[in-house]
Amino acid sequence: MNDLRAVLWIARKDLLQEARSKAVTVATVFFSAVTLGVLAFAFGQNPDLMRTGAMGALWVALAFAGVISAAQSWQADLEDGALEALLGWPLPRAAVYVGKLLANWLLMAALGVLLLPIAGGLYGADLGPSAGWLVGIVVAGTLGFALIAVFYAGLTANLRARESLLPVLMFPVVVPILLAAVRASGAIVGSDDLELAAAWLRLLVGFDLVYAVVCTTLFRFVVEA
Amino acid sequence: MTDATAPLRRPRWMTIYWVAVGPMFAIAAYLGLVASPRDVNQGDLIRIMYAHVSVAWIGFVAVGLTALFGALYLWRGKRGDDVRSAASAEMGLLFSALTIVGGMTYSKPTLNTFWTWDAKLTLTAIMVALMVGYFVVRGLIDDPVRRGRVSAVVAIVAAASLPFNYLAAEWFRTLHPAKSVALDGSGVTMDGTMLGVLLFTTVVAGLIYLGFMLERVRLGRIEAELEEARTRGAVRTVAPEGVVRV
Repeated sequence: MNDLRAVLWIARKDLLQEARSKAVTVATVFFSAVTLGVLAFAFGQNPDLMRTGAMGALWVALAFAGVISAAQSWQADLEDGALEALLGWPLPRAAVYVGKLLANWLLMAALGVLLLPIAGGLYGADLGPSAGWLVGIVVAGTLGFALIAVFYAGLTANLRARESLLPVLMFPVVVPILLAAVRASGAIVGSDDLELAAAWLRLLVGFDLVYAVVCTTLFRFVVEA
Repeated sequence: MTDATAPLRRPRWMTIYWVAVGPMFAIAAYLGLVASPRDVNQGDLIRIMYAHVSVAWIGFVAVGLTALFGALYLWRGKRGDDVRSAASAEMGLLFSALTIVGGMTYSKPTLNTFWTWDAKLTLTAIMVALMVGYFVVRGLIDDPVRRGRVSAVVAIVAAASLPFNYLAAEWFRTLHPAKSVALDGSGVTMDGTMLGVLLFTTVVAGLIYLGFMLERVRLGRIEAELEEARTRGAVRTVAPEGVVRV
């Protein structure tokens, strides 16, 4: 019970820090909007390509923004020995991880839901009658993404070359999650194929469960102040 | 005083091991290239399958063992487990890269494409990227204990995607053929001779993996010992007198 409270406090701390600095929100919202714009330029004049690529573009934008968000959540704690103090707490280190994970997940899921109509409008893709499913896919997809991103950001937090190392390490792990999320949301937007979307969503939730267990268990070996 | 040069000497049985594996490799090549019957649909192309599938299976085993030795290291903290984990990772990287090369060779004449973004192919490509990431991390950490822990964690996370790789072919079958050997024993949809040949080539691939493991672990032990001696300051990093520097 105590651990659960600690998790919530750490999540609250990160969210409060974010609410005051708005560093991550500003960076991720603008960066993902720019990514969507750049990809829209790249897809060019082909409306069919735009429509089919809409959900892919959305997840690429979310993924790039997610790297910034996860890295920043540890970066802030590296200053003034805050991380040492945090890890010095008589708490399982997994609690620190889960707290940071919750804060990151919340920010990313909110960003994803915000980007859904933007991507739909920008790419001329009708989100379709089952748009509610898309929110569920964004929630499951960003959970999987945040699980890996926060884990690896903690791992690289005090390594040399962490900025370049984080994407190199985490993207191969995250690709199956992105693939499942892109396919699931593509099945909704493109063809309103709920059966196909459910199959991919099942894979997505499976990944979430496996990585939730693996990352939480292994986290205590990962961080070092 | 123990003999400090003992681990430097390569035991003779390692040579004997390779001398024994060599003829088995030749037999496997003979079985696959000559003795195996031609496939009804694929003709002689089925012979690529023996190399491709056996290498792929051993590649998965190698990545799995990397994670297993990593987990042992996290549990017991013995340096030897880290050495074994890293050795197996090198084999895992090599075998999964070979799986992709073999798969492309096999798929071009049979399926008329080198590559397709099928779930199983994608995840095998990801496996290669994961193992590369494993070595990038290893190279960046100087402290042996932290390096061992972090790379063990990276290996375990990489291996966690293996079951999905296996299932993905079932759930989202596109171009990649379904498995002909079901692990639950429910059915082998493969000619008996062909299955026998495949199992033999797999055993030989496993023996080659084991041989490289033994060699690499021996080298890894020497590396670890040298690293520890350097940290203690017991080994001079400058050349002794009389050594001519060029």
